Amino acid sequence: MFRGDAGGITPGLDVGALAPLVDMMTLMLVFLLRSYSTESAPMPPEGRFELAGTTSEAARSTGSVVVLVSKDAVYIDGRRVIAVNYLPEELLVREIYDPLLLMRGKKRIEVHADRAIPWGVLKRVLHTARTAGFEDLSLVAASTSSL
Amino acid sequence: MSRRGLFGRSAGEPAAEADVRPTLLGVVTLMFLLLFFLLTTSSGQRLGVLDLRLGSPSDLAPLPHAGLVKDVAVTLSGSTLTVVYTLQSTDISAASTTVEQRQKDLPGVAGRPDLAGLLAALEELHAIDPSQERASLAPDDAVTPETIIAVMDVLHGPEAAPLFSKIALTGSAG
Repeated sequence: MFRGDAGGITPGLDVGALAPLVDMMTLMLVFLLRSYSTESAPMPPEGRFELAGTTSEAARSTGSVVVLVSKDAVYIDGRRVIAVNYLPEELLVREIYDPLLLMRGKKRIEVHADRAIPWGVLKRVLHTARTAGFEDLSLVAASTSSL
Repeated sequence: MSRRGLFGRSAGEPAAEADVRPTLLGVVTLMFLLLFFLLTTSSGQRLGVLDLRLGSPSDLAPLPHAGLVKDVAVTLSGSTLTVVYTLQSTDISAASTTVEQRQKDLPGVAGRPDLAGLLAALEELHAIDPSQERASLAPDDAVTPETIIAVMDVLHGPEAAPLFSKIALTGSAG
């Protein structure tokens, strides 16, 4: 890679060695831009949270209300509203409905649900969100699509 | 006074090999800085979004689909998938409104839903009527989002050739 000054050749890097280095850097940049993301997923304070995987590559939209459903509790825009164990049997959950009603200007809800919570819990959250006037609901998951 | 070309070489001088090393080193340095910036500001987890349509008892019934496949409903109970679909009868003696309902049960494989079997069944339906875009999914209360999303991905199909792009989640009444 380095050329000495023996034989009257100017010392320094060999051009032949630099070209593949630039190629490798370009490939790594493309890989990183394709597979990494600058948007950070919300996390509950308890830390134990894992999203399900999806092949969807649809991007998140900005300005949405973020509802996070972990194994322990339900959070709306980072604020804990009710523990999962205390969710009522009814589909409409008042503790989720009231704060969502105050946020109706945002129009859209993103639901981040832990991969292991049962549908019985998630459907209460979704039904309550819809009852609060949010028609535009989306479920966020970790994209598993490859290059 | 000699006339100089664009790259500083005299018009009459023999072509000398240009030293591109400083340029390449600059590019490598820039790439390295970009890599470092990307690695420090991003995470390896990309997020994907699935738009939801929630079925509700108060919804107006949609107009009947004009194609051969009138409706497609998938139920998910534990690891067992059931595809119920309504086909317009193609019998020459049948009336235009005659439909027949069929059901395909897909038992779980090793405790997991048979997604390959579901994909085959859905592709068969899509081949019969490519214009049908709607399908509904009714999961059991104990099913996890991981399984629901996996089934929704199969229902949706690949981005290049989607099967059912409008998926309604139902079964919210209990």
